[in-house]
Amino acid sequence: MSDTIRLVVDGEEVEVPTGSTLLAATARAGADVPTLCHDPRLDPMGSCRMCLVEVEGQRRLQPACAYPAMEGQVVHTSTDRVERHRQVLLSMYCADHTLDADGLPAERALGNQLRAHVEAFGTGPTLPPIGTPRAGREDPNPYIHFDPDSCIACARCVRYCDEVEAVSAITLAMRGSSTTIATADQVGLLDSSCELCGGCIDTCPTGAMSEKRALGLLGADEETVRSTCNFCGVGCQLDLHVRDGEVVRVSSPPPGTTVNDGNLCVKGRFATEFINHPDRLTVPLIRGDDGELHEATWDEAIRVTAAGLMGVKERYGADALGFVSSSRCTGEENYLVQKLSRAAFGTNNCHQCAAT
Amino acid sequence: MTNSIPEIRDTELMFVIGSNTTEAHPIIAMEMKRAVRNGSKLIVADPRKIWLAEIADLHLQLRPGTDVALLTAMAHVIIAEGLVDEAFVANHTVDFEDVKAAVAETTPEWAETITGCPAEDIRTAARWYATTDKAGVYYTLGITEHSHGTDNVYSLANLVAMTGHLGKRSAGLNPLRGQNNVQGANDAGASPVFYPGYQRVQDPVARKRFEEAWGVPLSPHDGLNLNVMMKALNKGDIKGLYVMGEDIVISEPNCSALEVGLNDAEFVVVQDIFMNETCRFADVILPAACFAEKDGVFTNSDRRVQRVRKAVEAPGEARPDWEIICDLARACGYPMPHYSGPAEVYAEMAALTDKFSGISHERIEAEGGLQWPCPTLDHPGTPTLHQGAPLIGKVEFQGVAYRPSEELPDEEYPLVLSTGRTLYHYNAATQTRRASGPMAKQPVNFVEMHRKDARRRGLNDGEVVTVRSRRGAIEATVAVSPRMRRGCVWMPLHFPESNTNRLTNDAGDPVTATAEYKVCAVQIDGIAR
Ligand code: SF4
Ligand code: SF4
Ligand code: FES
Repeated sequence: MSDTIRLVVDGEEVEVPTGSTLLAATARAGADVPTLCHDPRLDPMGSCRMCLVEVEGQRRLQPACAYPAMEGQVVHTSTDRVERHRQVLLSMYCADHTLDADGLPAERALGNQLRAHVEAFGTGPTLPPIGTPRAGREDPNPYIHFDPDSCIACARCVRYCDEVEAVSAITLAMRGSSTTIATADQVGLLDSSCELCGGCIDTCPTGAMSEKRALGLLGADEETVRSTCNFCGVGCQLDLHVRDGEVVRVSSPPPGTTVNDGNLCVKGRFATEFINHPDRLTVPLIRGDDGELHEATWDEAIRVTAAGLMGVKERYGADALGFVSSSRCTGEENYLVQKLSRAAFGTNNCHQCAAT
Repeated sequence: MTNSIPEIRDTELMFVIGSNTTEAHPIIAMEMKRAVRNGSKLIVADPRKIWLAEIADLHLQLRPGTDVALLTAMAHVIIAEGLVDEAFVANHTVDFEDVKAAVAETTPEWAETITGCPAEDIRTAARWYATTDKAGVYYTLGITEHSHGTDNVYSLANLVAMTGHLGKRSAGLNPLRGQNNVQGANDAGASPVFYPGYQRVQDPVARKRFEEAWGVPLSPHDGLNLNVMMKALNKGDIKGLYVMGEDIVISEPNCSALEVGLNDAEFVVVQDIFMNETCRFADVILPAACFAEKDGVFTNSDRRVQRVRKAVEAPGEARPDWEIICDLARACGYPMPHYSGPAEVYAEMAALTDKFSGISHERIEAEGGLQWPCPTLDHPGTPTLHQGAPLIGKVEFQGVAYRPSEELPDEEYPLVLSTGRTLYHYNAATQTRRASGPMAKQPVNFVEMHRKDARRRGLNDGEVVTVRSRRGAIEATVAVSPRMRRGCVWMPLHFPESNTNRLTNDAGDPVTATAEYKVCAVQIDGIAR
């Protein structure tokens, strides 16, 4: 078997690795095939039918996310038949979804792919709302909110929790149009095996799983800044979402782009409350003769620090000083501390908190 | 790590030892879970039945501190059964005879008496590891935080070298770094023995290079490492201390002794983002910016240099550490340049090293993270180390012999305490204790223990108890746990009001002086109320 196969997508010949899906091939050709239940980190489920395309020689439309690309295939991603299918399908989804005043699937704080697809492809005839109540419960956990009426039962959250995070905290419950998401034994998330990784939020295409603190930010202007997580040594890449000078939430860059492949843990995704915390140190403090700490200007603080360290050096020699640098700080800052210790004071007594 | 994180998913066998990866490195653990789903074998060696042990093909539940016995027995099996990669040993190593001699008597049966792991399991682990092509070793502080941590690492390196599992994709020796920038801090020379880029302070050529660059004569002798520095503080040999971004009172072992030393010091400076326990001893406290408020780089476990970018302003008058350090140096009379920003600082460092000389902020901006070694501007970086041949030329085998931990259980202190980190908190927890989710999950310090150890003492799950060692006593909540071995207890390090490091032993490894956080003897008593 050769390593690659060649096929034709919308008239363009493309080459993809053997074992690729049609979705990978259409992406290679630059075709924009809409998906809902697909996530590259998960095994294909092929359940939402959003990604159907026409394969010559096949009677039915085929799900691009699950269908294997094969040598010599001829694929069409936007024939009339495909477009009609999309519109009818989207009508059905709309009949079972919270709509806004314009009749579009309601915008959720973290984006709604369903709404984007309706905007891009339109719908067929409006169907009467299905209106089956879906069960959902208010969960006391601080981060994750589930809105059953925005859920399309694509099971991405459940599959993520199963396949990637592998803790299986949540599951599909009920059936038919009542299908909803619940914890395995109907306990709150905090009492389940959930590790609060937030991956379910990240993968949810409609924002049904969403972040509690993002709920109030609908339509807000946000700037995102790519950075590196400041906790463990994995070095996950983060997008810090900034609004009015505050980090309001954190998301992961898309799967396949950085070392963390779209994933984050509870600390990287959620533990940012410390940044704006009122306990932050905001002014230099100097201990006075009374033994108490007093606010000072930077000039004073730097002068007193320099005098204190220089005094020790004069009285006992440079090796009576110790410099504890930090693996929490940047590489540049560590470079500067060792330079301070070695060049400004003349001692190699410089180490960081963890040698491992 | 000699391999990269993305290589994990293609591995065929993972030997995870002394690493509770799902809690300490959750995203690396996700890659491990993915590898297992793709059919990789998993061997876990850990005294606790950690989460990974549940999906492992083999769990070696060894007694804390007996890793060398386990690993030398595995080496014994590999040699006895002719599973050595003779070609790799002949071409790329020296002193194999030393190991052969050292492990001649270390049979699995002998190791069973020490580790408590069945001899047959040890044999199986050795065979699987030696006969699988893409086999990677993954370890973390459970290997290094021992009075014989260096021996542990040597024993692992011996296994890797005798089976030729080096310099290949998905096969290598992979220490998972505990903190965001441990790797980067080491790389940058925050070390008593190395200048940036692992150039020895004792090497006159390296010294001359830095003396010329920095324009001053430099000290020719090694400095004190942290563990020794803390003891020197106690003895009065260190009189002044500058502490940036660490709460040493929480994170160093045997903290009661350290507090005495800090009290006696003449001058202590703390530079941090929060008031911490060490601040109680500070003469000056300098408010610093946190990672979201400054620019720079962090280097992760797989040697990947990535950008930290300023997203928001620091609160009040807090300033980035790099600016503070530069001002301080100038106030002390040293002409620290007026850097325009961290990019220029990085460029100065890169120019003084070989490993990072091809890395710059501009390149990371354009290409994303870069993995060192990256010697030139057109070098793509190095995902897998030692490809072709070991970087250092030949791997030196080190014959090591099992040595018990410094403090063993006895009648007065019959339980072995190991310590570590949980998923929800992070070290001194100044950041995670201000996060609602972690606090909802784990609000107070706890001690995990075996059901029978609890019952013998008449203790119930959730009961507050006193845990005491020769060095101190603290209160914690009992968490009866099926993960524990009998006779062993485990506590996290995240709670200042119940500081587990009042118990731990500051006995250090003879080479690295890394302290024995993983083994000390304790007793647990109920509290009469
Ligand atoms: S937060 Fe993570 S562990 Fe919890 S339900 Fe969502 S995916 Fe599962
Ligand atoms: S998000 Fe979690 S796993 Fe990733 S670097 Fe941060 S702490 Fe580590
Ligand atoms: S994305 Fe293909 S069936 Fe859902």
